[in-house]
Amino acid sequence: MAEQPPIPPPAAAAPPQPPRKVVLPPHRERAHRPWRVRAEEWVRRNLFASPGQTLLTFASLALVGLVIAGAVWFVFFQANWRVITVNRWLLFAGGFPLDEKWRLWLSVALVFPLIGAAYGMWASLGRRDLLFIALAGAFVFFLTAHGDAGPSSSVWFAASLALFFLGYRVCRFVPRETGRPRTLAVRTLAALLALALPLVLIVLMVGGGAQASQFGGFMLNLILAPVGIVGGLLLAVPLALGRASSLRAISWTCTAYIEVIRGAPLIGWLFVALFILEDVISSPLIVRTMIVLAVFTAAYVAEYIRGGLQSLPRGQGEAGHAVGLSHLQTLQVIVLPQALRVSIPPIVGQAIGLWKDTALISIILPLRELVGNSRAAIAQAEFIPDRIEVYAFAAVLFWIVAFMMSRISQRMERAQGVGER
Amino acid sequence: MKRLALLGLVAAVFALAACGGDDGDGDGAAGGDVRGDTVALIEERGALKCGVTDTLPGFGFREPDGSFSGFDIEFCKAIAAAVLGDDAEVEFVAASSSARFELLSAGEVDLLSRVTTITAERDASRAVDFAQTTFYDGQGFVVHADSDIYDAADMGGATICVAAGTTTEQNLDDFFNEQGLSYTPLSGEGSEPQDQFVARRCDVFTSDKSGLAARIASLPNSDDYRFLPLTISKEPLAPGVRDYDSDWKDVVSWVVWGLINAEELGVTSANVDAWAADPPNTAVARLLGVPFEGGETADLGFAVDPQFIQRALRAVGNYGEIYARTVEPLGITRAGTLNALYTEGGILYAPPYR
Repeated sequence: MAEQPPIPPPAAAAPPQPPRKVVLPPHRERAHRPWRVRAEEWVRRNLFASPGQTLLTFASLALVGLVIAGAVWFVFFQANWRVITVNRWLLFAGGFPLDEKWRLWLSVALVFPLIGAAYGMWASLGRRDLLFIALAGAFVFFLTAHGDAGPSSSVWFAASLALFFLGYRVCRFVPRETGRPRTLAVRTLAALLALALPLVLIVLMVGGGAQASQFGGFMLNLILAPVGIVGGLLLAVPLALGRASSLRAISWTCTAYIEVIRGAPLIGWLFVALFILEDVISSPLIVRTMIVLAVFTAAYVAEYIRGGLQSLPRGQGEAGHAVGLSHLQTLQVIVLPQALRVSIPPIVGQAIGLWKDTALISIILPLRELVGNSRAAIAQAEFIPDRIEVYAFAAVLFWIVAFMMSRISQRMERAQGVGER
Repeated sequence: MKRLALLGLVAAVFALAACGGDDGDGDGAAGGDVRGDTVALIEERGALKCGVTDTLPGFGFREPDGSFSGFDIEFCKAIAAAVLGDDAEVEFVAASSSARFELLSAGEVDLLSRVTTITAERDASRAVDFAQTTFYDGQGFVVHADSDIYDAADMGGATICVAAGTTTEQNLDDFFNEQGLSYTPLSGEGSEPQDQFVARRCDVFTSDKSGLAARIASLPNSDDYRFLPLTISKEPLAPGVRDYDSDWKDVVSWVVWGLINAEELGVTSANVDAWAADPPNTAVARLLGVPFEGGETADLGFAVDPQFIQRALRAVGNYGEIYARTVEPLGITRAGTLNALYTEGGILYAPPYR
């Protein structure tokens, strides 16, 4: 079952050697030569071994150089980044009332330590993560420090980052082994994470805050995508179990749900949110959008979880029953944890997909997230020529979050031992 | 089967919750075809839902602080002030050109104020009624300043940049067929036509004159381009309301006409307070809904109270003020165009307010 690293073949019986003469294996011997010689050899062997390879090397170098030079030229000399610094609020918060800026930052300061805690609980920060955080952080600092935003944004962001690391450190103290203390800590954190979104919405809206219709910009992406992902995950578990159920009515219902939802593109379901869902659930458009995103994601995630369930040997469940666990307990402590662990990579793939799909919202719905407000920014007479800048900026923001999700999943996979058991 | 019954129960609970949750959250407009009393709906909700564009310089765009701005936006504010007494009580809904009429009929917006051309097909087959036109636009042409093209006849054989899939493209085709001239269209999405024109991949750039002027004015060296004295289409841009609600349509139309009449009568945002207290003549008194020299206030029977135009004027000023604030900065002068008052050579001719 478990894949062990291949056992090296037993060493061939070496002929007796004179004890004092040490023969180094080739790579060790190379290591003793000066680095200049080694580098030269590497270059010759890997880049200029034949005329064809030499040609390829120069062609690739020229191409890479051209792209880099073009990018540097654009970023530092050609681009008019004023369109970003001037429109920072429009791009990040849309129609959110400017006077209520503290509400946005308070939300960030609430969520950051929770993300840090989740990191500390289920994964660890490697050198690459720190490098990424440093780069992304510097980018955000640069943004907050520029123009007329005042020092408060930078201070808020610094505090949020500090809280992120605080959350991380605190959760590093939680023992790694399964046991009462860890279970307690995990449950507390899960509860806090579940409360995060309602809490953020309260901070944003209650007591003279914004109305739902004023949400916009990057903030809207950051609210909608997690709701879709978490809501989808919560819906997906019963769907996956239901599909595997032996009761026909249940398994058919779940199968029908999955096939119908997967059978139409997200754009189509967004139209449903706009024009049809209103008749079923009378609620603001943003809520209907959340429902559709969760319902849509659930259909895909349910199939990934079903794959995870099917990868488990039947014996796992039977063993649970044999030691006297109820059906529910077997699911909870034996089957689901293993199935979910196997499904982490595809689920994260779906999450990243949904994250980027939030850009579709502005195309179909009268809601304006980052891409929608990017288009609005270049409708200002001063900035009509500057759309490459705006779209490049939006792309970087999308990438930062997508990359972060990807890193977290890799870390989690390693910590959970996906593919090793 | 048990499961199905349960599902039915859940659905029923949801439906009940949906019905119960209808009041008080400011989202009272139910889906489906909304007919009837939009004025009452707006008053109950306390906000006007205005469908606008957010990507058209000068007409509907967003300021860096996220607020909406432009010519069409001013009319939303005027109408909100007229109905609710507060021009801040507008909920702007960014309505795409493809979904705008559906948003209106589904009740997601009460009013469309987003450069919508009145056409027979829209009026007849869409669930939209058009109120009084706010802006008379038309398709125009711009060329490079050093070009040999000065008139329609010079455009024979020219390459022309145009936005793909628009009425502009069709107008262009019709126009050249009528003239018996040939041309090569170079169509693109969004701002591609503009880029191609600037890069001299085409000789002529065509679009609605207002949009054309805004785009050219935004270029760093706008003197390198020249407008042709030629308009080849009629584009009356008007606010849209839902079909079957003439009370609401009356209010919208008469706010527009009221602001035009105000300009004619010399009422501005600056003197509206003084003139409301002491109107110089009966026409102004009627327009502002105040009694003249001890007489009665004329109530003409609108679904809102007689001072609605006065409130709109106080919020945004008269038609000329709106134009000067939003369209003129784009470099589109008003004198001599269709959008001047009829007394000054234009076609803005509001019926008498009496």
